[in-house]
Amino acid sequence: MAIVETKALRKVYGEGNAEVRALDDVDLSVEPGEFVAVMGPSGCGKSTLLNMIGGLDRPTSGGVSIDGTDLTALTDDKLTELRRRRIGFVFQFFNLIPVLDAVENAALPLTLDGDPKARDKARTWLEKVGLGDRLKNRPDQLSGGQQQRVTIARALSTEPALVLADEPTGNLDSKSATEVAGLLRQVATDWGRSVLMVTHDPRIAAYAGRLVLMKDSRIVDDVKLDGHPDAAREAMERAGLL
Amino acid sequence: MSVQFTLAWRYLKGRGLRTLLTTLAVVFGVTLIFGLNGILPPLINAFTRNLLSTAGKIDVSVTSSFSEPFSNTVLDEVARVSGVAVATPEVQRIAPLPQPSGATAANAVAQLNVIGVDPGTAGRVRDFPIVAGRALSTGDGNVTVLASDLAAKLGVGVGGTIDLPSSVGSTRFTVVGLLSTATLPGAEQIFVPLASAQTLFALGQRVNAVEASFLPGVDRAAVESAIRAAVGPGYQIGGLSTNSSLLASLQVSTFAFNMFGIFALATGGFIILNSFRTVVAERRRDVGMLRAIGATRGTIVGMFLVESVFQGILGTAIGIVAGWAMAAGGLAALSPIYESIVHVKVGGPEFSAGTWAMAIVLGVGVTILAAIVPARAAGRVTPMDAMRPQLGEVYERRIGTRAWIGVGLVVVSVFCLATRQPGLVGLGAVVFLIAIALVAPAVVTPLSDAFGSVIELVFSEEGGIARSNLQRNPGRSAITVTAVMLGLASIVAMLAVVTSIFAGFIGYIDKSLSADYMFIPQSIILAQGNVAAGPRLAEEVKHAPGIGAVGTLRIAHGKVAGAEVQIIGIDPKAYPLVAHFEWNTPSTDQALTQLSSGRWVIANGLYASQNNLMLGQAITIDTPNGPRVYHVAGVGNDYLNAKLATIYTSQDNLARDFNVTSDVLIMANRTPGSDPVLLRKKLDAIVTQYPAFRLYAAAEWRDSQLAIFNQTYVVFYVLIAALALPSLLALVNTLAISVLSRTREIGMLRAVGSTRRQVRRMIMAESLLLSVIGIVFGIVSGLWLGYALVLAMSSIGWPMPYFVPWDGIIATIVIGLGFGVLAALVPARNAARMNVVDALHFE
Repeated sequence: MAIVETKALRKVYGEGNAEVRALDDVDLSVEPGEFVAVMGPSGCGKSTLLNMIGGLDRPTSGGVSIDGTDLTALTDDKLTELRRRRIGFVFQFFNLIPVLDAVENAALPLTLDGDPKARDKARTWLEKVGLGDRLKNRPDQLSGGQQQRVTIARALSTEPALVLADEPTGNLDSKSATEVAGLLRQVATDWGRSVLMVTHDPRIAAYAGRLVLMKDSRIVDDVKLDGHPDAAREAMERAGLL
Repeated sequence: MSVQFTLAWRYLKGRGLRTLLTTLAVVFGVTLIFGLNGILPPLINAFTRNLLSTAGKIDVSVTSSFSEPFSNTVLDEVARVSGVAVATPEVQRIAPLPQPSGATAANAVAQLNVIGVDPGTAGRVRDFPIVAGRALSTGDGNVTVLASDLAAKLGVGVGGTIDLPSSVGSTRFTVVGLLSTATLPGAEQIFVPLASAQTLFALGQRVNAVEASFLPGVDRAAVESAIRAAVGPGYQIGGLSTNSSLLASLQVSTFAFNMFGIFALATGGFIILNSFRTVVAERRRDVGMLRAIGATRGTIVGMFLVESVFQGILGTAIGIVAGWAMAAGGLAALSPIYESIVHVKVGGPEFSAGTWAMAIVLGVGVTILAAIVPARAAGRVTPMDAMRPQLGEVYERRIGTRAWIGVGLVVVSVFCLATRQPGLVGLGAVVFLIAIALVAPAVVTPLSDAFGSVIELVFSEEGGIARSNLQRNPGRSAITVTAVMLGLASIVAMLAVVTSIFAGFIGYIDKSLSADYMFIPQSIILAQGNVAAGPRLAEEVKHAPGIGAVGTLRIAHGKVAGAEVQIIGIDPKAYPLVAHFEWNTPSTDQALTQLSSGRWVIANGLYASQNNLMLGQAITIDTPNGPRVYHVAGVGNDYLNAKLATIYTSQDNLARDFNVTSDVLIMANRTPGSDPVLLRKKLDAIVTQYPAFRLYAAAEWRDSQLAIFNQTYVVFYVLIAALALPSLLALVNTLAISVLSRTREIGMLRAVGSTRRQVRRMIMAESLLLSVIGIVFGIVSGLWLGYALVLAMSSIGWPMPYFVPWDGIIATIVIGLGFGVLAALVPARNAARMNVVDALHFE
């Protein structure tokens, strides 16, 4: 069963002359353990798609299901619970709580869920992402790359079915960016989570196993990648996006 | 611990300065409420103890509603009531003791409460535990018994003598017994035989109180109402009303102090509101992320509320400690003044359960209340906000329904003001403050445009940026302005009241009295019920060589249509020579001559307007001798009684209908060419025979009053400083927050070439603009509140004209601008010192 399934997904902002169609009939499915990159020019609807799949925003029409649950039928509380338990988020601006240390930040979704082993689990994940020696550091004591690792540990701490990453390397230097991209690939291949990542950077997208290209609110291409660093760039050229 | 507690605690700890500023807002409010409520009860208790210190087994006390002596037959009427065990007649009068000139010693005995008792029956309602000598017995003459501690204070023992002032000069009493009872300071009593007291106070066979004790187990309320029915109207049962106007003024103080405390807390509330609004704006992305990873709205709202509860509890706790310290310090400073004015000893601070409850409920409550709106706003932050890059805050200017409600309330408040009814004016003042708070967000932009051009005269380059900084978040600016307004309004109101009291007294002295000399009872505040002088004193003064005109005032109380009115007796011929009326048109001095020709009265403006009196109109006054019909000869004011319903009539009428023939105030003029030194010697010689009175040259009396007021002023200044602090805090808080939230912008300004000085001046200009708007609102609403308080005091028996505190307004402007500069110092310095690179990367 697909982890992510969208059917004729449509999102319209505004009305009348001010109407903006952000997503138009988008069908997408992501299998367990699959690492999918989404690329496209600014304003093509990538982030909107991610928000719909993450249950952060509601579609105008069409359906989204995560791990078999139809999001459009859920109340706000149920949706919140689903986000907490089944989805992990990695943001461009890290979004760590500045007054909490690395363990506390990584444990946050579990703490919110009342899990008594929250800190132990968070610690385990921080060690897995290579921050075993930074457990007590607050965000301002970590580099950008390290902060993003904390958010990845936070995203994984609840053992989610799906990890959503919105421009996860957009705020990082190139060395840290490739490290984070490698880590996300590991999330999919080694730890078996589905990862859906929006990015502008073809080199980062090349870490994924599959590339979805968008333009004008629609999916225009959907290709398998072979791990070659130029694979994503070439796919974009073929689709006329470069 | 739940995640809300952890997050709330960490944010509070991690943002120490902000937490401190917000918590301080609660601290100041609670300190004022708790502290002031700890100061007043001891003052009121001391005073009430003084009033109601009738010891023994007295169950009920019957006195005249007119404060008049009455016939002994009332005794029989009371004694006949079923349930009364015994009734005994008494004369109770305060007799001042001669004081050395200029004495203000706190513990000196200034007056004695002379109680004339019937030696035969008094022992059944009062205790006389004799420790030395003997008790009073039937057939005693001018002898007295008193408490041994009082005797020690007066320096007398059994066989010693005490000279008491009386209407004929002075009478000597011999001490025959000492009691073991303890004397409360300010309630010094001496007991004398009833007949001696009647002679001393020239009462004939009349008494002024009947004390009764009840049979055991009777229904007290039933017996009281039976007594009321037996004695008929014109008597009051149970209550001692003497000196109640001072007690009433203390109660007004309680009200005023509470109002100021609540003001301070309201200011605190606005500071907290502002803090939390900014905190929510700053943490928008954090909140969005929390929502994205699964925090419910409830969790988010809870997180902010837990923060407010932490701060509320902490601030309240510190506030209570500080309030206790303030009360202890305040009482230490106040007691000597209080003791020198009313001769009552004051104890330490007292905190009732109600005070504790009020401080805690208001302290924690206001904090939570102020946090609710921002917390709910935080709950509405969508998870999408976590995804967006953070932009500088710019709020659209909207003139919403709230502003229109505010405008409506302004209209209502102006209407309330126009009624000139104390209650409505007070309500109007509060409504006006609420209205300003509602209107402020809408008017802060145009006002800052208006004042901006003035500020830009000094801050030419930075003024413009400062103005737009202020305007881009009108909500936050409005809250700051409101907080500053509340702080300054309470200062102006307080100054208005103080100025009115002060100027009222001085105005009375300056305008109303053209007399050169005055013979005044020792304490003018306690004049009611004091020994008055018989006509002989005035006669003696009149015959002193070098004295021209002599005028006297006599006071009686009557009722018109059930409402009490004070009636002042004047000599229509002599009065205009030593004082004068300010006539309301069309009345003239003609009215004075009319007073001599029968039952005519002059009504003061207040009384005339309350009762819609017209010239020539008939009014029926209930007098001790029954209802009498008088006619209105004129409407005019003297300054002393301008705010108290008063009618004036001739002293002949007062003697005939109210049985009052004694003077409470004597005014005299010196003839031109006479030797002031010789005259003064002569007058001094006269007054020594009348220990109840003190002789003042008008200028001296003015100075003595000024001295008392200057002492009192110090206390007010301390209080005003305490009231001012919250508004300073509001400014500091807003500016600090505003600098913090604009860190990145300030970095940008520095990067593109602003000098440190320009950044500093920009913050300074914004602070000054905010304070100027706050000052304007604060002065307007403060004058209004002050007016309401002055009216309220007048309405409950402390009459005073309203004076605009011009000095106070100037002081408030200076204080406000000073605060503007002071508040900007630290934030401006921090902004100017900011590292450009760090600032640009500030998250």
